[in-house]
Amino acid sequence: MREGRNWGGSALVVPALFLVAAFLLAPLALILRYSFDKYDPVKLMLGIFSPGNYVQAVADPFYQNVLSTTAYIAALSTVIVMLLAFPVAYYISRVESQRLRGWLIILTMLPLLLGNAVRSAAWMIVMGTKGVANAVMLGVGLIEEPIKILYTPTAVVIALVSVLLPFAIITLQSVMDAIPTSLEEAGQSLGHSPLRTVFEVVLPLAMPGVVAAAAISFALAMNAYATPVLIGGPTMKMMGPAVYDQIAKANNWPFGSTLACILMVVTLVLTVLSTRFLSRKYF
Amino acid sequence: MGALSLGRLAYLALVVAIFAFVIAPLLMIVWVSFFAEKILSFPPTGYTLSWYARASEMADFANGFLMSVKVGLCATLASLALGVPAALAIERFPFPGRETIRQTLLSPMYVPAIVAGAAVYIYFIELEILTNFQLAATFTGLVIAHTLVALPWTLRLVCASLVSANTISEEAARSLGANALQTFFYVTLPIIRPGMIAAAMFSFIASFSDLEKSLFLVGPGKTTLPIAILNYLEWSLDPTIAAVATVQIFIIGAALIVSDRFVKLGKVF
Repeated sequence: MREGRNWGGSALVVPALFLVAAFLLAPLALILRYSFDKYDPVKLMLGIFSPGNYVQAVADPFYQNVLSTTAYIAALSTVIVMLLAFPVAYYISRVESQRLRGWLIILTMLPLLLGNAVRSAAWMIVMGTKGVANAVMLGVGLIEEPIKILYTPTAVVIALVSVLLPFAIITLQSVMDAIPTSLEEAGQSLGHSPLRTVFEVVLPLAMPGVVAAAAISFALAMNAYATPVLIGGPTMKMMGPAVYDQIAKANNWPFGSTLACILMVVTLVLTVLSTRFLSRKYF
Repeated sequence: MGALSLGRLAYLALVVAIFAFVIAPLLMIVWVSFFAEKILSFPPTGYTLSWYARASEMADFANGFLMSVKVGLCATLASLALGVPAALAIERFPFPGRETIRQTLLSPMYVPAIVAGAAVYIYFIELEILTNFQLAATFTGLVIAHTLVALPWTLRLVCASLVSANTISEEAARSLGANALQTFFYVTLPIIRPGMIAAAMFSFIASFSDLEKSLFLVGPGKTTLPIAILNYLEWSLDPTIAAVATVQIFIIGAALIVSDRFVKLGKVF
């Protein structure tokens, strides 16, 4: 093909690029700028340039608490997710029937695609004081009276784990697919138990996937909005809801932008980290 | 062998239990949507279908549903209109920096939804101050934001089907005298049609279930279904909301099964 034609063809990318540049990159640049501005109750913004909001975000005890709660919940959820995702991903990547594999992938993807509103509603029905979990525990005599599960940090971790699991399973499974089964057969023919083979052969080879899945899970957990709001209740302070409160409710765009930029930078670092370890297919 | 199959059985049980952990709450909400009484109690005193009628009569849910469908359809069409040419450019016309361009076009998937939502909201308001053109709390504004949600899905799935299809038939068409447009419509398009259908399905699903990006952009009378669900859940939890959630579960489940007919999800992921 002639050089001129190549350039004509590559111009097809321009409209999509324009959309992303105009309605994602430009807005992000704008909030990066605003994050260095200062809020004023009358003028809304002073038009100055100072790192004051960032200092406040790490020095103010309230936001220290928000940051540490977010990091703690995200880390705990990530650890649990990895422990649960590994056996499931391994099962899916080694299942022989293509039909079963297809159904398992659909079953994994369905909750992911339902969106956070529906998933949170489902967990509220399970974990409420009059919910299924309490009804079952009362029924079998495990507890005397309903216990409070909803609106606790534990509830948030449980719900977040179910939100993150599909992402972790899909990421891990795509890495495990690339590990030839012959290596496991070799391990077993040397007399190792299946469990030992998994730990000594599969786990080391799947390590890039483990790192990537953990980074993605942590980033998603940190940015969660619906789960902390609905499952955690008003006392649960995490970064996602704080961004919304500052910008939409308090009209403090500069500080809200600062919180958003902190989330953005941590997410970016984690995403780069995960892509370095893995050429991602879908997540 | 006995110990081995026992271990295998325990492993199977673990996998089933983990799937149950994710799926069971969804089955519960479907179950609750049929409960006769408004106040939840287990087991229920009886069953009814009346919550579905009640939900459809509630303006928030009925309008939210219509809004989500309309926004979803527009965003899907827009993401195909922008994403298919972009995928074609990236996979068929190698140009310098195309990996950077690809990552840029996929970036809406990696930017946290709450951050992107906040940024786009502030940007829309600033644009309005500058040009007097309102985008925040409008249908157009929602469609723009949702097109960004959908675009990475379209790009990924269409790129994947372009990569797996070989270029021999396209080259044959060109050497037989077909021009670029004819080649695209008669040769390339039929090859990537399954990928495009899956792209459309996933774009629609991504838009339809989006909560975080829409959060800042909805306005009075212009609320999407997930936002209507969120608002309702902050005050009450009853079979009505379970009925609404069930409708969404079935719509998205159906879309997922339909896309699996065109692109085997077991092979894509």
